[in-house]
Amino acid sequence: MGAETKNGMPCHEFEALLSEALDHKLSGAKLEEFQTHGAHCELCGPLLQEAAAGQHWLKSLAEVEPPADLVAGILAATTGVYSAQGVQAARAKGSLWERFSAEVLKPLMTPVLGLVRQPRFAMSFGMAFFSLSVTLNVAGVKLSSLRNIDLRPSSIRHTYYETSGKIAKYYDNMRFVYEIESRLREFKQVAEPEPSEQKKPVKAPEKNHSGQPDSNQHNYSRGGSETVLALSNQTQAVITGRQGRSL
Amino acid sequence: MEDAQIIATLIRRCLAGEAAAWTEIVQQYNRRIYNICYRFAGTPDAAQDLTQEVFIKIYRTLGSYDEERGAFVTWVTTVTRNLLVDHFRKTRQDRMTASLDSAASEHEDALPLGEQIPDKAQPPDARVQSREAQEMVHAALQKLSPELREAVILRDLQDMDYREIAGLLRVPEGTVKSRINRGRAELARLLQRTYRQVV
Repeated sequence: MGAETKNGMPCHEFEALLSEALDHKLSGAKLEEFQTHGAHCELCGPLLQEAAAGQHWLKSLAEVEPPADLVAGILAATTGVYSAQGVQAARAKGSLWERFSAEVLKPLMTPVLGLVRQPRFAMSFGMAFFSLSVTLNVAGVKLSSLRNIDLRPSSIRHTYYETSGKIAKYYDNMRFVYEIESRLREFKQVAEPEPSEQKKPVKAPEKNHSGQPDSNQHNYSRGGSETVLALSNQTQAVITGRQGRSL
Repeated sequence: MEDAQIIATLIRRCLAGEAAAWTEIVQQYNRRIYNICYRFAGTPDAAQDLTQEVFIKIYRTLGSYDEERGAFVTWVTTVTRNLLVDHFRKTRQDRMTASLDSAASEHEDALPLGEQIPDKAQPPDARVQSREAQEMVHAALQKLSPELREAVILRDLQDMDYREIAGLLRVPEGTVKSRINRGRAELARLLQRTYRQVV
């Protein structure tokens, strides 16, 4: 591009005039030559467009506001004292919350946060928080259900009486249930006959010396209509059906 | 009284030990210096620290300022720029852009951008209104090489003229213009790429 001449202007001259053209400092015949070259040169045309776009983007950047405590910090770092004017200027710039956080919260919280940020303490705090949240979950306390109104003294008193009433009622109910249960047990004992009268003599099973399993354990050898309910301790199947109950 | 005279008086008062004069200087220039540092360093915290360092340096070397050699604002900007360059060299945090133009930034006489990559695409509509767009431009600015970045910051954000910038950067005026042109074009390309990715 450097030595190429198009439309009466070499490309290097176009590039040299580019910044001046973007600053609107070109005029007359020079401007016309520049514009003609830019419109027809396939290399310089895009460069002009990009440079113009970049300039526009840069010009659109707004000036940023320095931090409110910058002046006070500089004065403290240079002269070693906070200037009243500097501090006042900083104060005037910041909002009420910014001033409160800068003057009250920051000095208080900085050492605490510095301590908490140490890995060992951070781990301990994490575990403590975890334990607390698990305990609250187990106790059925939901923080989301907690409202400002719940923290009024009258509400706290009300909640206390309500909770203690519930506990008393719960234990009263438990006592009633236990009482009923013990009465029922007594009735049962009175109503049931003695176990010796009810039990029938059980025939001792014959010993099997053949080494083969007992024939009465072969459920598959019985009829299909017979239902096996269970096996007794004496390895005898309880069978219902046509044969009735066999023990 | 003209601005130069006011500043000269202020400096004399300051050198005489008048604390109020120094406070006035700080209040008058902190905004400008903070903005240069912010646009160059990229983050508010770094900008605040650097601004403080700049003022410490100015405070210590105020006696060396010679009003006959140039305006006080140029001297202050030079001090800022030198400190930013030192900071850049020390930290090396700045990432050189993977720019197509990087070779040219090292060699001032290299081929211009337009000749290296003939991109016929139209630049995006340069309407920046929202804060997000400003952040995009600021982020793209951080991707420019330091030489191009400082040139466009001084020209387009601080409105310094080419001669002043040339004196400040200690390079010929033609080099300043070339850097500004390339910086602007490079920024437009970076934003064009970002714009394509977003869309």
